[in-house]
Amino acid sequence: MGGQTWLAYTLAAVMIATSAYCLSRLAMSWRLGRPTERPVDAAHVLMGLAMAGMLVPRLRIFWTGGWEIVFGLGALGFGWLALRELRSPKSECDRPRHHHFQHVLACGAMVYMLAAMPSAAATASGSGMSGMAGAAARFPTLALLLALALFGYVIWNADRLTSLAPVAVLAAARVPVPGLAAAGGAGTLAAAARLADPAGPGEAARPRLAPLSPRLAACCEIAMGMTMGYMLIRML
Amino acid sequence: MAGYAAQARPAGRLRGRALATEDQRAVPDVRRMVQLALAGIWLLDGILQYQAFMFSKGFAQMLSATAPGNPWFIAGPINWAARIISEHGTSTNAVFALIQVLLGLGIALRPTIRVALGASIGWALAVWWFGEGLGGVLNGTASPVNGAPGAVILYALLAVLLWPPRQEKPASFVAGRCTGPVLAKALWLVLWGALAYMALLPVTRAPKALSGMISGMAAGQPAWLASIDNHLASFLASRGPAAGIVLAAVLAVIAVGVFIPRPGAVRAILALAIVTAAALWVAEGLGGMLTGSGTDPNSGPLLALLALSYWPLASRTNRATESEAG
Repeated sequence: MGGQTWLAYTLAAVMIATSAYCLSRLAMSWRLGRPTERPVDAAHVLMGLAMAGMLVPRLRIFWTGGWEIVFGLGALGFGWLALRELRSPKSECDRPRHHHFQHVLACGAMVYMLAAMPSAAATASGSGMSGMAGAAARFPTLALLLALALFGYVIWNADRLTSLAPVAVLAAARVPVPGLAAAGGAGTLAAAARLADPAGPGEAARPRLAPLSPRLAACCEIAMGMTMGYMLIRML
Repeated sequence: MAGYAAQARPAGRLRGRALATEDQRAVPDVRRMVQLALAGIWLLDGILQYQAFMFSKGFAQMLSATAPGNPWFIAGPINWAARIISEHGTSTNAVFALIQVLLGLGIALRPTIRVALGASIGWALAVWWFGEGLGGVLNGTASPVNGAPGAVILYALLAVLLWPPRQEKPASFVAGRCTGPVLAKALWLVLWGALAYMALLPVTRAPKALSGMISGMAAGQPAWLASIDNHLASFLASRGPAAGIVLAAVLAVIAVGVFIPRPGAVRAILALAIVTAAALWVAEGLGGMLTGSGTDPNSGPLLALLALSYWPLASRTNRATESEAG
């Protein structure tokens, strides 16, 4: 890593902050019943921790093989969700039809990076990613392709960022709730309000539970994609 | 996450915000798609700039290598910039990389697109001068196969052509909606005509010149790309001058092709331009991105993107744009 140790530490800090924020989203969602995409937030918590460990080996909290299994299962899970999205009629799908493909891709990229990273070399080096660059050179084309796809999703998320409704708008409206829709629920904010406060049917029309900020969730996607892309490019 | 996009119908002040965001969620038009592709390439450039090689003395040496043969007003600033980068490698390179990442994100974010496109023009011109020595145009080393007229100047050209004007001009292709179709076609003619001319210069047409250039690109590449480039180089080893003339002829046809009044013929010419750009990109070794020392994907993808921005649109889209402009 040489002169870029500062960069590895900076990115590791960003990843830990992102991970902590996504953990807080999960906690708020469970405690307060505010809708969010729990699988995505959970994946971001794990990815942030794993990437921080790859960038700065002393931050490693789990063994590499374990992470590979976790993200392999994550890729399968998101793949299943993506297939379900593709098969569902467009009118029933309240998000872009390829929404979950970026998470399949991210999990796949994590598995690739973990598999390519020689744990012994990285641990011995003491400074992040120095072992990755040399060992992954066997598959540079795959690393570049994964990085290009991730950058594509970063740009796509950035383009959509301002089109995502602010929480204030969502709070004042009846909007589909993806988390509930995915779970087979009613799929409206009013339904979320009913779940949290089953006082009476009259209350259902006046939604009380705003989803957690979709714009910040998109920012997490962007941060994750850029950091992952950087790590892949460093492996060329 | 996208499920939260402005599907809301709230009343009052918030309704305006919801409707505004709903408008933004419309299917991206062709210009927006090309803008996003340009944003992606800027982002890629920025991240490539964070590679370990760029923080080393090698990057400064790579820059100073573009100075020899150039006039003093080009060579002097290049050497000055290379010296600064050599002395303050970490900080200057980190700033360069950050600027390019911000340009990419700025173009992708709708509220900042004009600022980012404007800044990208200034940055691209500065890099073209200080970093690429005007792409070797003045020292006789420019060839379509080595990225002439300098990949970075194509970023500036695309930024101009893809600029979102307050009032669009009627044109059958997105590149003409800011500058007007006549100027846009003139820029196309100048660019591809210059490439055709450069293909006839000794640096490309001399015996073994093309072959040597392409085999040089193979160094440090993965086996599959090195194999393609080496095979291409050995094929061209005895056919250099003829290949240069064929390349010049193809580039000249592309240059004048956009003036054909029939959209079908223009589409065929633009398809040829995209194929040619792809072939040049392979010959360029994908800009050296797979070697760990590539700063950008070189000119191939940008030439293809340029061709897409000249693609004749369906007549229904044209009518809609013309009526809006009128």
